[in-house]
Amino acid sequence: MPLIQIAGSDRFAYKTKPSAETVMLAKGVKLHTVSATDIEAVDPLTYEVVRHRLAAITEEMADGLKRMSGSVVVTDCNDFGSTILDESGDAVIVGLYNLELAASVDMAVKWTLEKRSEKPGIRPGDMFLCNDPWVGGGIHQNDVTVMAPLFHDEHVFAWTAVICHQVDLGGVSPGSWSVEGRDVFWESTPIPPVKIVENGEIRSDIEDMYLRRSRVPRLVALDLRAKIGSNNIAQAQITQLIAKYGPVTVKAVMKRMMNDAESRLRAKLSELADGEWNAVAHQDSFRHDDRDIYKIVLKMTKSKDRLVFDFSGTDKEAEGFANCTYAGLRAGVLPMVMTQLCADIPWSPGGLYRCIDIISEPGTINNCNFPAGIGKASVASCWATQNVTAECVATLLAIHPDHRKSLMCVSCGTWDLALLAGLDQRGAPFVTMICDSMAGGLGARSDQDGVDTGGVATIPMGRVADVEINEFSFPMLYLWRREETDSGGPGRFRGGAGGSSCFIPYDSPLGGVHMVVSATGKALPQSSGISGGYPAGTQHDVLLRDTNVLSMLKSGRIPADLKDIDGETHVLQAHLEGALGMTDVYYTHWQGGGGYGDPLLRDPAAVMRDLQNNKVSLSAASKVYGIVLDGGGNIDGAATETHRCYLRRVRAGLEPATSEGAE
Amino acid sequence: MMKIDDNLELKPDGTVTCSHCGAEVGPDRHNPMAKAIRHERPSSVAEPGIRADPVFFTDRPIVIRQVSCSGCFTVLLTEIVPGDEPQHRHWQLSDA
Repeated sequence: MPLIQIAGSDRFAYKTKPSAETVMLAKGVKLHTVSATDIEAVDPLTYEVVRHRLAAITEEMADGLKRMSGSVVVTDCNDFGSTILDESGDAVIVGLYNLELAASVDMAVKWTLEKRSEKPGIRPGDMFLCNDPWVGGGIHQNDVTVMAPLFHDEHVFAWTAVICHQVDLGGVSPGSWSVEGRDVFWESTPIPPVKIVENGEIRSDIEDMYLRRSRVPRLVALDLRAKIGSNNIAQAQITQLIAKYGPVTVKAVMKRMMNDAESRLRAKLSELADGEWNAVAHQDSFRHDDRDIYKIVLKMTKSKDRLVFDFSGTDKEAEGFANCTYAGLRAGVLPMVMTQLCADIPWSPGGLYRCIDIISEPGTINNCNFPAGIGKASVASCWATQNVTAECVATLLAIHPDHRKSLMCVSCGTWDLALLAGLDQRGAPFVTMICDSMAGGLGARSDQDGVDTGGVATIPMGRVADVEINEFSFPMLYLWRREETDSGGPGRFRGGAGGSSCFIPYDSPLGGVHMVVSATGKALPQSSGISGGYPAGTQHDVLLRDTNVLSMLKSGRIPADLKDIDGETHVLQAHLEGALGMTDVYYTHWQGGGGYGDPLLRDPAAVMRDLQNNKVSLSAASKVYGIVLDGGGNIDGAATETHRCYLRRVRAGLEPATSEGAE
Repeated sequence: MMKIDDNLELKPDGTVTCSHCGAEVGPDRHNPMAKAIRHERPSSVAEPGIRADPVFFTDRPIVIRQVSCSGCFTVLLTEIVPGDEPQHRHWQLSDA
């Protein structure tokens, strides 16, 4: 059925508004605040001590979460967020984890203040759970927020919030990634903020409602307690801070942190050139068997000390599971502003957002209405929004003689999802997302190559689980995980290489496992380059059926290439759900980072180094970088220059000069 | 002179020139690449980075578009996009 906006769904679609309006709407609760004079009165030393203490608390929240969680996605891959917010829901500081999550938690807290303060009320010892991306707090339903008001003297003093990716919350497909889904009703049902903890006790009725939908309720229950515990850690620490420095001083520091972030970003923007930058990000396929390509367009205007992100012209929301809500759009913008423009500025989103205007039309793929499908939003339209934002911000930064060193081309164009489910080697049900594409290639810089398998731009502390951890936790056996040749975008400075993993199901009582694959960037690459730099290579997933891999392993041979394995080869479309049998082999190859500058201007010695390190193939060295080797395998300088002249003309559509031959 | 990126400079007279050969690429800051050469080819020429033929995944044409300096043919912009879409990547600087 076509996407028709559900009557009444507007109530859940949070529209950002000034904090003063939230304060007015939060009628059922008293909010603690301070005056401008109080903020001004904090001495610099106290400011720095308390500011750093708050930053440390977000780290302690993260440590606590990781110690209590049972999910590899959290414990080993750091796919979560920790945030401290002020009394009205403005984010004071975010931890260095998944910035997508931290960028939208303010919306969920504000919605809760506005809609829950009278009924059921917000009281000491309460915590609220939310996984409704229209409300905010996460980008898709797997992102579950637990947010807690911190009371002081009967006033809401602040909020703490923890979000992490839950491996399964129901829906048609394991992992809640419904690749055949048409709208949100194929997916896990979003839960708007509900009081999960009341007066310090978990509400069992709400918990049952929450866990009943999951294929792995015990694991999700453990993560719920981890998030509650993490909030408890933060609340205890902030309470100690208040006891030591007084509520006025602590709150004044929180407000000044946001003011400071705002003023410093404004100052930096004022140093940059005014102008308008336009870019586009594409995604191929929104669901199984969908062969269309979707675009997000951005006009970023920088004028004096403001940035305007105008997404007008972006494609209309589409059937599938790859749209994102307005929270996802914000989560596409802010992380790229923080990582490229704010490396030397406190990450206080509440202040940074004051320098940014966002223009977007509801009903588009990165600002969709209910019930558009959003099960893949975080790594689909939200991620593509990051890509287009990163490109525009990087191109703006390229102009400034000092700040250009902070630019980074688009990193790891999207997530290469492989999700496994079934019975593990201990006979227990399991569902997990394999997070190997957390080792994506980072984009090139203006003065250096991107970091090979360096990560993803939006999760500074993101990491890939050890092969051994995955093999210990799940019924799988790796044949390899490695960097991939020619995956980094060519350029004068090359984008970081992406990587690949190849594995088989192993030791499950069922023999094989169930698998969901969702990975775009196959029809066209998604990590764009800038200043002439090429995009990274495309994503590439291959399934080999009925192979001889087990007999190879029995005879002591470990395949090192797909060509070493006999079997039926299937190059996979973007989306697939099905069985991965005992003799099947799955190969997943995710994207690298975009390149910077013309690859024909790359130092030949650097290309040679890349050749020796298998970052670049002989084919790319010749066809893209224009390198010619002599009989001894060394660079032939004269022939290289001739070949580069030839390639320059070919690229421009000109007839090559007769004396310039192709090598 | 203001360096714009790895390849372009804004001259005091307002023209945009190639930093490698000095050729004028654009007449002013609002049309910074108006005089550059634009050329489009099937994306397959960008292999080996293109791992599989786009025809396998989509019915739309996928092309590599490049904008090059008209003097030395240094590539100023590279994109791989659906060939049936106009060029969305462009920029301009505001008046000083």
